[in-house]
Amino acid sequence: MNPSKSSQPSAPVVIARGLSKSYPRGSVTVAALRNASFEVGPSEFVAIVGPSGSGKSTLLNLLGCMDAPTSGTLQLDGQDVSQLADSGRTRLRRDRLGFVFQHFGLVPTLSVAENVALPAFFARRSDPKRVDELLERVGLSSRRHHRPHELSGGEMQRAAIARALMNRPILLLADEPTGNLDSQTGSSILELFRELNADGLTLIVVTHNPSLASAAGRRLEIQDGVLISSTPGSPPKPHGPR
Amino acid sequence: MLRLALRNLLRRPLRLALTICGVALGTAVWMTLAGLGDGYRAGLRTELDRAGVQLMLVPLGCPYDAAARVLKGRTLETSLPASALDAVRSDPAVAVAAPMLIAAVPRPEENRTDLWVGLDEASRHLKPWWHMTAGRDWFSATNGAILGSEAALIELRAPGDALHSPELRQTFRVEGVLERSGTSDDSLFFIPLRTAQRLFAQDDRLTAIAIRLKDPAELRAVVQRLQQIPGAQVVTMTEMMGTFLRLLGTVRTLLMALAIVACAVGILGVLNTLLAAVVERTPELCLLRAVGASRTQMVFLVASESLLLAVAGTAAGVGIAGVGGHAIESLVKPFLPLAPTGTLLQLGPDRMTQCALAAVLGALVAAAYPAWCAARLPPALAAKTE
Ligand SMILES: Nc1ncnc2c1ncn2[C@@H]1O[C@H](COP(=O)(O)OP(=O)(O)OP(=O)(O)O)[C@@H](O)[C@H]1O
Ligand SMILES: [Mg+2]
Repeated sequence: MNPSKSSQPSAPVVIARGLSKSYPRGSVTVAALRNASFEVGPSEFVAIVGPSGSGKSTLLNLLGCMDAPTSGTLQLDGQDVSQLADSGRTRLRRDRLGFVFQHFGLVPTLSVAENVALPAFFARRSDPKRVDELLERVGLSSRRHHRPHELSGGEMQRAAIARALMNRPILLLADEPTGNLDSQTGSSILELFRELNADGLTLIVVTHNPSLASAAGRRLEIQDGVLISSTPGSPPKPHGPR
Repeated sequence: MLRLALRNLLRRPLRLALTICGVALGTAVWMTLAGLGDGYRAGLRTELDRAGVQLMLVPLGCPYDAAARVLKGRTLETSLPASALDAVRSDPAVAVAAPMLIAAVPRPEENRTDLWVGLDEASRHLKPWWHMTAGRDWFSATNGAILGSEAALIELRAPGDALHSPELRQTFRVEGVLERSGTSDDSLFFIPLRTAQRLFAQDDRLTAIAIRLKDPAELRAVVQRLQQIPGAQVVTMTEMMGTFLRLLGTVRTLLMALAIVACAVGILGVLNTLLAAVVERTPELCLLRAVGASRTQMVFLVASESLLLAVAGTAAGVGIAGVGGHAIESLVKPFLPLAPTGTLLQLGPDRMTQCALAAVLGALVAAAYPAWCAARLPPALAAKTE
């Protein structure tokens, strides 16, 4: 369902070395992320945690090729992406990465199915069967022709997850995916993430949600732009799906 | 892509409608003005060609003004001696020389001025289109009159009726009514030349002499000879055409300036709409970048919206030009010299094509800046805002 395309299954999906990002703000520059080095292996489920403004989103945006690092190197699936130009990063976002946002980020003028198909559309492909399959997977088959505003928050996030999976990414990134959901809906999203991860998808999730953070196999903790610890998560809860 | 663009536009129906109206108005004005110019040129040519006249002998003065007045059936302050006619007729190269005397008869109580034209038999050879709807096609009596179609309508006269003119203190018998021609002839009253000369106390005077040559190639030589006739001057129709077209040139420049303003307004309207659409959709456009839209695709998206706007606006504009163009025509027409009486507006396929091309070009111009803005949006913003 969610194949990891890495040629050597054991090679890390993400290798970050000395990854830094600073933003110019007026005359000074803000170092949002400083010298982060870590690896994420295939089929890992990693949570990035830390206080607000600590640089979690900054790191996730770098991993998601939304931004170029100020310094340091980043390899995704064996490819160095830190020097890529915009077009190269766009292609990676489109073909190798999936991104899920706190605010769902569905296009309001498109139906659920059309939203899910967007990444394929930008890759100039059309794969209605894949759309059906994904809608089925996230439980939205009956909602395919609905507009986003007709869905509940949880359904919107499911649609967004289906879209992120459209082009069979090697890595799914999520920035506070449960931040806009009540705890019950949030846990159903968490359940979905667990299943996807169990199917072999590599997941990196920024979260304030303790149950989501503890569901992850590993936690990266950031404070003031510095990666301060990498701890294995608590073992899967007994009431988990597997 | 088009569907995405269309849905984006439909999101703000009022703004969409207003923008389309702007483009439509611009297009309509452009089409109408350009169409008017075309029609004016064509109309002028037929008007001049139809007379089958290569030369006109007019009294000294501004020759073009004189010729134009005669063509429109208006009076001249000065006149030619009848002897000029003999001189013209004696020229070996002249096939037909048709004298005419034109007089204006003011009708203050009806608030108009009638034009009476005295013709002799020779004029029939210069007016091959001289067809009657009813009655005889030439005067049989000295008090005979032939009416232009509009003149007949206004006077409510048919052949056989008497037509009394209190101003001229004369009663005419209507002998024929001309078919509608779309030219200035429609509103004229034709009477025999001699009658006209007597009534208007212009014995042996002529307003102008229309001349057709046996061989048009001899034009230059004939002009040289006729120029010698005292008190008269020669105007060739080619010269007249040229003069009018030059006059038209100035009018056209004015019209084009108007049309360019109209187009600029349309383009700015589209630009404004697109820019607003890009700014207010920033999060959404960033999101499209985040899920894999390339910069080129963003440019295409904005350009599609622009093209949709332009195409809808242009289509509406062509429609408006077709329906409302005649209203604009009646506004503009009084400013055109020697405007043909028929409708001027010509909306040919050439104009349509030109308009469509202009619309596409305008759309791309309008889209350029908003598209550039959209292409530069950072995908990272997608995560920040809703
Ligand atoms: N585009 C930007 N321009 C300037 N400064 C930025 C930009 N993005 C982030 N920052 C700054 O970088 C720092 C880290 O921001 P980031 O969004 O990564 O924090 P975060 O850990 O995701 O916080 P939160 O939990 O509130 O989302 C902050 O101080 C922020 O002000
Ligand atoms: Mg954040």
